[in-house]
Amino acid sequence: MTSYVTLPYPFEPTEAPPEYRGRPIIDPERCIGCGACARACPPDAITVEDDLQRGVRRVKLDVSRCIRCAFCEEACPAMAIKLSREFELATPNKEDLIQIVEIPLVKCAVCGRYTNATVRQVAKANAITTHLPQALREEMSGYVNLCDRCRRVRAASRIYESIPIFHKPSTKATVGEVHGSKT
Amino acid sequence: MGRKLKSIWVFHLNTGACNGCDIEILDVLTPYYDAERLGVKLVGSPRHADALLVTGPLTRQTYYAAKKAYEAMPPSPRIVIAVGTCACSGGIFYDSFSVHGGIDKLLPVHIYIPGCPPRPEEILFGIAQLVGLVNKKVKQVVQRASPELKTEPLERLWLDLREETRRVVGYFDRDEVLNTFKELVLKAYTRYDPRRSLEKLVDEYCSQTDDPRLCFVMKYLYTRFLDILEWYKKSHYNIEDMLREEAWRRAT
Repeated sequence: MTSYVTLPYPFEPTEAPPEYRGRPIIDPERCIGCGACARACPPDAITVEDDLQRGVRRVKLDVSRCIRCAFCEEACPAMAIKLSREFELATPNKEDLIQIVEIPLVKCAVCGRYTNATVRQVAKANAITTHLPQALREEMSGYVNLCDRCRRVRAASRIYESIPIFHKPSTKATVGEVHGSKT
Repeated sequence: MGRKLKSIWVFHLNTGACNGCDIEILDVLTPYYDAERLGVKLVGSPRHADALLVTGPLTRQTYYAAKKAYEAMPPSPRIVIAVGTCACSGGIFYDSFSVHGGIDKLLPVHIYIPGCPPRPEEILFGIAQLVGLVNKKVKQVVQRASPELKTEPLERLWLDLREETRRVVGYFDRDEVLNTFKELVLKAYTRYDPRRSLEKLVDEYCSQTDDPRLCFVMKYLYTRFLDILEWYKKSHYNIEDMLREEAWRRAT
C-alpha cells in the first residue's frame, strides 16, 4: 500500500487549524466607527477618517499591512472585528486586500453640519445611559448630537446661566448666532 | 507575463526580514508541501532566476543590493514575488527611518502574498496563481453600514468579563471559557439566590472538569464577577435586574 506524504493542497482545498490567525474582517453590522482598533493597531493597518462632505466615516482596513496581532479584536468595544481563518490572500493587485466600511455621521442639532461622531456611536451612548435619572439623561442627550463647537458654546452658556449674578435671560437665544458669526 | 509560466526558477532575496518568512519558504520546499512539484526550484544566483522571491521590508541598507539582484536577472520574465506583510507594504516597519516600505517602492511586483508570516499553503497558493492553476479569491470591499445599531443585551458586562478573562486565559480559548461562564451566570440568575447558586454552579463545574486550570479560571471569574457587580452598584447601574430579565428570556 502506498502512502502519500505530500499535501495535495493547490489541487484540493484545505482549511486552516482553528487557532490560526488569518485576515481580520470587520462586521459592518456591528462596527460603530469609534476608531479604537485604529489606535490599537501597531502597523496602522486600520485607519479612520471622516468625509465631512458626504457625511460618512470611512474605516479602512489594509490587510497587506496587517501583522495578525489581534490587538484590534481585543480593543473593539462592539465585538465587530474578528480575525478569520481565511488565508488564501495572494493577489497580483494590492487594492484587493482593502476593506472599507462607511458609517454615517451625525448632523449637529444646532448648526446642521456633520459632527465627529457616527450615528451608531450616539445610539450607543444613549443605550448605555439608560440607568441614569431622566433629567440627567435629557441633559446628556442634548450634548451628544452637537458638534464640538456647539457643544462648547452650549456648555459655557449652561455654566453662565447657572451662576445667578451673571444670569441674563437672553443668553440662550444667542447660542446659534455666536456660532454663525464666527464661521 | 504574456505567456503561461511552467517552471519557475526562484532566487530568494531577503531585504531585511526577521527570518519568519524565510523559514516558511524552507517549509514550502520540504516534502510535505513540496513546491517543486509545481516546477519551482531555488537557485543560487539571480542570473539563473526567472523570479525574485523577496521577503522583508526594503531597508536603506539593502536598496542597492536588491536593485543589483533585479538587474542581474535575465530580461524576461523578471517576476517579483513579495512574500510576507513586510515585503507587501512595509508592515510593522512601514514608518521606520531606515525602511523605504514594501518592495513595490523599488520593483514592479507580480504577486503579493501577505501574512506575518504567510502559511506555507498561502505561499503555495500564490505560486499556483503564478503558474495559472488557481484564481485569486480576494477583492476590494466597500461596505456602507446602515444607521441602526446592533448590540447584544448586557454587552458591557460581557466585555468587562472578557477583560478579566484576558488576564488568565490565552487568546485561543478565551471565548469558549467565557461562554461557559456566561451560561453558568445566566443559569444562576433564574434561581432565587443568584450569587450563592452561581458559587454552587462554579463548584459543581470544577468538580466535574478534570482540568485544574479551568477550575482556577472559573473561580477567578466568579470573584471578579462579584467585584464588577459591586462596581455597577456604585454607579447606580441596575445590572442584576437586567441579568435576571435576560436569564428568564433565555430560559423561556
